[in-house]
Amino acid sequence: MKKMDLLAKVYILVIFLAIYLPTIFLIVLSFNTSARITFPIEGFTSDWYFGEPKSYQANPSYIPIIHDQFFWDSVFNSIRVSGITAVLTCIIVTLTALTMRYRLIGRDVLFYMFLLGFITPGVLVGLGTILLFRLLGSTITEFNMIALNTVYASSFGFILMMARFDPYLMLYEYTASALKVGPVRVFRYITLPLIKWEVLSSAIMGFLLSWGELIRNLWVARGTGVVSTFVFMQLTVYPLTTKWFAAGSILAAVSIVGLIIMATVLSRGTK
Amino acid sequence: MVRHTRYVLLLPGLVTFVFFLIAPLAIMAVMSFFTPVWPGYRTDLTLNNYVAYLTSPQFRILAFNTFSTSLVTAFICMIIGFPFAYCYTFKIKSERTRNYITMLLLAPFLIDWTIRSVAWISILGERGFVNSMFLSAGLISEPIKFLFTPTALFIIWVQTNLLFMIFPMNLALGRMDPEVIEAAKVLKAPPYRVFYDIVFKMALPGVICGFIFVFVNTISDYVTPSLWAGGLQTLGLSVSNYASQFLWPQASAGGMILLVACIIVLYILLKVVDIKKLVYE
Amino acid sequence: MIEVKDLVKYYKEVLALNKISFEVNEGEFFVVIGPSGCGKTTLMKILAGVLEYNSGEVYINGKNMKGVPPHKRDISLMFESYAIFPHMKVFDNIAFGLRMMGKDKDFIKRKVTEVLELVGMSGFENRSPYELSGGQRQRLALARALVVEPPVLLLDEPISHLDYQLQRKMMEDFKVLHKKTGGTFVFTTHVQEQALTLADTVMVMNKGVIEQTGKPREIYLAPKTVFAARFVGDINLIPGEVVSKDGDIYIVNTEIGELKSLANGELPAGAKLAYGIRPEFVEVENKTRVHDNQLKGKFDRFYYFGNYVECIFDIKGKVEVKSAVPTKKAVDLRIGKEYSLGWNSNNAALLEKPSVIEGLNIEEVIYGK
Repeated sequence: MKKMDLLAKVYILVIFLAIYLPTIFLIVLSFNTSARITFPIEGFTSDWYFGEPKSYQANPSYIPIIHDQFFWDSVFNSIRVSGITAVLTCIIVTLTALTMRYRLIGRDVLFYMFLLGFITPGVLVGLGTILLFRLLGSTITEFNMIALNTVYASSFGFILMMARFDPYLMLYEYTASALKVGPVRVFRYITLPLIKWEVLSSAIMGFLLSWGELIRNLWVARGTGVVSTFVFMQLTVYPLTTKWFAAGSILAAVSIVGLIIMATVLSRGTK
Repeated sequence: MVRHTRYVLLLPGLVTFVFFLIAPLAIMAVMSFFTPVWPGYRTDLTLNNYVAYLTSPQFRILAFNTFSTSLVTAFICMIIGFPFAYCYTFKIKSERTRNYITMLLLAPFLIDWTIRSVAWISILGERGFVNSMFLSAGLISEPIKFLFTPTALFIIWVQTNLLFMIFPMNLALGRMDPEVIEAAKVLKAPPYRVFYDIVFKMALPGVICGFIFVFVNTISDYVTPSLWAGGLQTLGLSVSNYASQFLWPQASAGGMILLVACIIVLYILLKVVDIKKLVYE
Repeated sequence: MIEVKDLVKYYKEVLALNKISFEVNEGEFFVVIGPSGCGKTTLMKILAGVLEYNSGEVYINGKNMKGVPPHKRDISLMFESYAIFPHMKVFDNIAFGLRMMGKDKDFIKRKVTEVLELVGMSGFENRSPYELSGGQRQRLALARALVVEPPVLLLDEPISHLDYQLQRKMMEDFKVLHKKTGGTFVFTTHVQEQALTLADTVMVMNKGVIEQTGKPREIYLAPKTVFAARFVGDINLIPGEVVSKDGDIYIVNTEIGELKSLANGELPAGAKLAYGIRPEFVEVENKTRVHDNQLKGKFDRFYYFGNYVECIFDIKGKVEVKSAVPTKKAVDLRIGKEYSLGWNSNNAALLEKPSVIEGLNIEEVIYGK
């Protein structure tokens, strides 16, 4: 038995490292003096992060990350888009999942619509959106990006949230109603506290899925775009250099720190 | 009164989905029947787009590429992911450790997808880590070409999608009553049968769910295969190509075919396990 | 058949089983009784092999069970929580054990049908566990454990959630089954009636230790500790001190006067103990007999039990004494009136030890802390 336990932990570690492998290389190689991507590292420098822009700064691939204003613009765009997506996803998923527990007309139809939301490849939604807006004669804005991501994340979140509902939740709500508590207060004092982690995780899912989403965003991107589209477009035009590794490392560091903080918060009071 | 409020609560989701999912898809469906006239289209209905698409010689290759790579990736994710989910749920006793593992596994997702992919160049490239190691150890005389082959595609895809597989599996496994497993052991089931008849079967809804997630995600992704698998063409790519040339009807037809295929696969998988049971129980 | 020596089990820092040792003979109907949390389920799981233990030895049929996994033990366990396979129908749940043993389809079908009839659930083969009521689930779990006909059958609270009539029926069926198969049954419960009715041997457990083991009659009539006396059958307990001895009879000084009793052994003068007398031996206004213990008590209240009434009498405002009065007689009693109560010293018991557990205050155990 003990051998199996050890084997299990080793396996988890191995997979963990495999998933982190690119990230590790990203961070290590971001300190490479050479602009080309090679292994092993030729020299050690933090120029790609903090250095002064060189004379050939016309080529963005060589601007140290701290000076690349467009990059930071895209980061803020991403934060804004993903943040709003997170909030909208959270609201839609919570409301819909809670309400779908009851038998309503068209419940199945709505359910299949959510399923459709996530099996539809991004290409198609993107194409369809462009066609739709051309037809309506309106322009595509950042709002479209938010909406597409919300649809995608809501589909995922909906299924996962319904799967996680405590089967006794409805019982608690009925009990409260029987005690003459109005529906709003039932929601506020009974339902919400019991599902708060599920609600939170649907928001997180909204944030994460939209941040990492490339294809849907590509179709509706305007201006500098979000991080995923920005980097992609840059790399189709300009050469790949170590500077992008520095960019990735910054994102990695921030997200790791942020997620560790979240894990610590979530673990408060648990063993 | 309460009954009507319930329908109202469904409105935000309904409106969003109808406007941003159903409407675009509907337009695309309609467009696919229009006659292409460069640079636009006439609204005469025709089935030509579909016929042209389906009978073109590339179609078979595209379809094969698309579905085979996605299926293989989903299977690999399943094989790697299930033991992981099993170990995570049953062998890690501390909830605190589990939280940290979950959060840390999410971190790579917040690094931009493109950058994450290019990091693989440093690992799999001809001057990358793996080749350098093998060369200096004398195992090979020339660098192996990993990148721009299907192998690279699978590696990158599995790495990106593993989490999508693990998440629902964890969900299904986490709801399992440990005493049920003990009961099976007491009823003379040897370990491999406990694993198959009880654990795996009970986790099946989660496994299928994960499989669908990965399959769907990889089908949509036409960028990775074209960049990293040496220009491997997929259906999504052809749709994108047509669209970039403003050939809307053809693009729409391709899109509809892709959509129908996805729906069929989903239907088959849902016959295996009733997803409603996972969700409404 | 089963031998346990010095078994110790810790759950993190909590001691669940404290060096317990006991033996179960082949073919015996062995009942473990005790309050919740006394370690019954832990013991069952260790015997079945699904739970590890810290130290001690477990022998089944003479073989040391150390390192033997559950599927290699000749033992079947019914879980208190049922642990039904949710993804299988009733038939498959029950058939599972037989399938693992490699039996053929006809045999399995026959046996499953038989056992379903035994638990009163014929025709339920194709139901899903989600469609069953609590009592039906319990019977399903029972059927699943019974059908494999093991030499040793462990049942953890197998009938506690059934209605009274069904419990009575199942108790009779257990007795018949036990006689027919000759197997060894180990049964846990917290309901005394089940222990007294079914057991060849009863083991009383408390917080991970064994209070007393013996035949039901023995424990009922001659409990060794206050805990055992309180847990097996109802009893009046009055704290007191030994004053003197008159032949075989001890005289004990209590709050309500001097009471007489026989004892199981020597008790020195001044010994603090509990004086016990079971309610059915306390006779109310029986003029035909002379009891060597007599008191006057005011009738305070009663509890109706159908064939008898438990009447509570207040003695001098200090102690309450319960008497089990046949219903026929109880109708004549009036609340608030004083009646004479009496019993013989050979029906009373003197209990020196509060419990096998060291350091417990005898008054606390008497009043049930």
